[in-house]
Amino acid sequence: MPTPADPTLDLDLAAVTDESRKLAASIKPGTAQWDVIVVGSGAAGGMAAFQLATAGIKVLMLEAGRMLDHRREYRTMEWPYQSMRRSRLPPDHRPIAVAEYNFLDRPYGNNPAYDKFKKVTSYAGNTFTRNWVVNEKEHPTTGTPYAWVRARVLGGKTNFWGRGALRYGPLQFKAASHDGYDVDWPISYEDASPYYDKVDVLLGCSGTKEGLVQVPDGIFQRPIKLNCVEVAFQRTLAKMGRHYIPGRAGVTTEGLLNSKYRTRCMGRGRCGRGCDISAAFHSPTALVYPARDTGNLTIRPYSVVSEVILDGASGRAAGVRVIDANTREVMDFTARVVVLGAGTLDTTRILLNSRSAGNANGLGNSSGRLGCHLSEHLMGPRGSGFIPARIGTEPTLDDGRPVSPYVARFRNVTDRHPDFIRGYHFQGGGGAYEYPSMAHDLPGFGKAFKSSVRKYYPALLSIGGFGEVLPRKENRVMLDPETKDAWGIPVLRFDYRFGDNELKMAKDMADSAEEMLKAAGAENIKIDREPLAPGWSIHEIGTARMGDDPKASVTDRYCRLHDVPNVYLADAAPFVSGGTQNTTWSILAMCWRTMDYLKERMRAGDV
Amino acid sequence: MTTRAVSRRAALRRIGAGAGALTLLPFLSDEGLAAFVRIQGAKAAPALKVLSASQYATLEALVEAIIPADDHSPGAKEARVADYIDLLLSEAPDDSLKQTWLDGLAALDAEAGKRFGAPFVRLEAGQVDALLTDVSRDEAAPQRTPLEAFFTTTKQATIHGYYTSEIGIHKELHYKGNQILAEFVGCQTQDGRDCPHCGQKA
Repeated sequence: MPTPADPTLDLDLAAVTDESRKLAASIKPGTAQWDVIVVGSGAAGGMAAFQLATAGIKVLMLEAGRMLDHRREYRTMEWPYQSMRRSRLPPDHRPIAVAEYNFLDRPYGNNPAYDKFKKVTSYAGNTFTRNWVVNEKEHPTTGTPYAWVRARVLGGKTNFWGRGALRYGPLQFKAASHDGYDVDWPISYEDASPYYDKVDVLLGCSGTKEGLVQVPDGIFQRPIKLNCVEVAFQRTLAKMGRHYIPGRAGVTTEGLLNSKYRTRCMGRGRCGRGCDISAAFHSPTALVYPARDTGNLTIRPYSVVSEVILDGASGRAAGVRVIDANTREVMDFTARVVVLGAGTLDTTRILLNSRSAGNANGLGNSSGRLGCHLSEHLMGPRGSGFIPARIGTEPTLDDGRPVSPYVARFRNVTDRHPDFIRGYHFQGGGGAYEYPSMAHDLPGFGKAFKSSVRKYYPALLSIGGFGEVLPRKENRVMLDPETKDAWGIPVLRFDYRFGDNELKMAKDMADSAEEMLKAAGAENIKIDREPLAPGWSIHEIGTARMGDDPKASVTDRYCRLHDVPNVYLADAAPFVSGGTQNTTWSILAMCWRTMDYLKERMRAGDV
Repeated sequence: MTTRAVSRRAALRRIGAGAGALTLLPFLSDEGLAAFVRIQGAKAAPALKVLSASQYATLEALVEAIIPADDHSPGAKEARVADYIDLLLSEAPDDSLKQTWLDGLAALDAEAGKRFGAPFVRLEAGQVDALLTDVSRDEAAPQRTPLEAFFTTTKQATIHGYYTSEIGIHKELHYKGNQILAEFVGCQTQDGRDCPHCGQKA
């Protein structure tokens, strides 16, 4: 490698990869006894390990990627001109572009279009995340187009998540009772809300009390103010009876007395690169390190879990099979309980791949529903325009905050839309962000062009929709019979499409974005109408849904496999429906609830 | 806007808008980077990798015509946007991209010669203006001449190079973020005051 031109760009990860290899080499089956194996270290695995380790339970956490050097890898305040890559990637590295998801054949990574690149990542790969998101060449998928974002590193996707911290409410848990479609969750908002409260207090959540049934209030720290263009837009929407509220962020704005790893928000923005003071929730600093400090958590990095091993005699899980990501050594770790928190789709893949006599279609799949009911949020329809109150004014500091404001769902809350059921929300805001992306759309050249960029720079307002994708049995993943990943594990084949309800909803999303921008008197309104590729939201849920009937669901109401009493799912795989809310805060709350139940069972000697 | 939402948005812009041209540009290597940092830091003479001295001069004149120095701040020339483009071209995965740019610069000179009897760099301000007004007339239209397409490609690369430079961010846009704040201020109407920034009443 040539001498690094810029130390902020060419991060030397040797120390952390060395540490990871040493850790992996030192932890083998039999080096210690563990009560519970937790697979994954993101929101789900982190919360599971934290709950168990702080209760005195010995936990082995298996992370497929390496450890994280969060102090150096979170490059929050780096300016683009510190490197002339200017936020570009190295020449041999390429993220999949938005349109390519739909027109390139799968597996994406093996497509000849990418032959000249060494690493091909999902669209979420950028200069700040490129060392975390997986190489599609090593992690192929087949079937229908799907923008599946995966991160294999301690903390997973929580290292760069969007920080939207929203609760599901009664409209989600009892969605079927509301509109007659599909089934309700087996639990209610009353079951979940104490756990959302605990998560708010443990991790810090910024927001305002609004009293909205479509997105219930939590226990909030100092909210984030709206900037000037946003206040103007809020006034317009209030006249339309719509709520444009400060974004709810999984970020501590007032500090946390319970954490030595986290500091309150300092208003710098750029949180998606990783917050180097951990004001934003990231699983490593918020959950994994505190869990490790108890002395009850062992973390084994580079541990790719291929399957859950069944003890034939008892019908219970004996442990999991691990392939070391570097040495390829295969080893079986055993424990009393297995908790899967690999992320909705990878958890389901592990179960599908856990095939044995009597479980030819995967573990926990006697219902035949494992892999079905994949859901997420449709994105793409969006709008932008220039808000008159700020055109031609001196820029203010508009982006020093972790999330943009939020247009709460307004369809099918109290009324019934004639064309579709369920609903959508918008996220977005505006003002003077570092990069004036709207300059690319302004006509002309010369002094007139340059001054028009200045004129409109503080005035841009832009909102994008997130719409519920109806859970459908036929939207599913299965194991591909031929294609395997770099470790020889069968990959997922997607069979997932947006349906009529989603497409009608998408049309309404674009129409209502236009309606609101027009009402605000915005200039130069631009509306995007096309849905982005499936998977774009990174809010995947379902595929191992919970229910009280073992014939129609994969887990019980405590996210425990109906078929195997000592296997629990900690991520969003058991979720029945996902509303429009960003998923992470619900994963944290549901996981806490599941772990409380597991602790009770362990105390009672059931497992 | 969350950062993740911004990157999604940026991706959208890439298909929707003229920024399509940007995706044609390659990424810079470490070596290229080091060279650029030296160039920009020392105000050094350009160390060209792809362009000849005269092609560089033409490109520099073009990017400065797109984003010129004005009363407010320096332009694309001082922000070394032409050097940035030269370095990007030097790392193109194949020769076709380089060729597009070399052809484009040649076409620009040919057009200047045809209309005014001089290469682009020798044109007077009014002549540059007339020529670029014509080639940028139907910027958004899909059916364009190679020279019109080249103008758009250069404009999009210039926007990217300029507004990510120190000059573009600080001197031109007066961007105020990326600071450590006690608290994000926002619009002051929320504290019950008339806002001095936007003029909205509490």
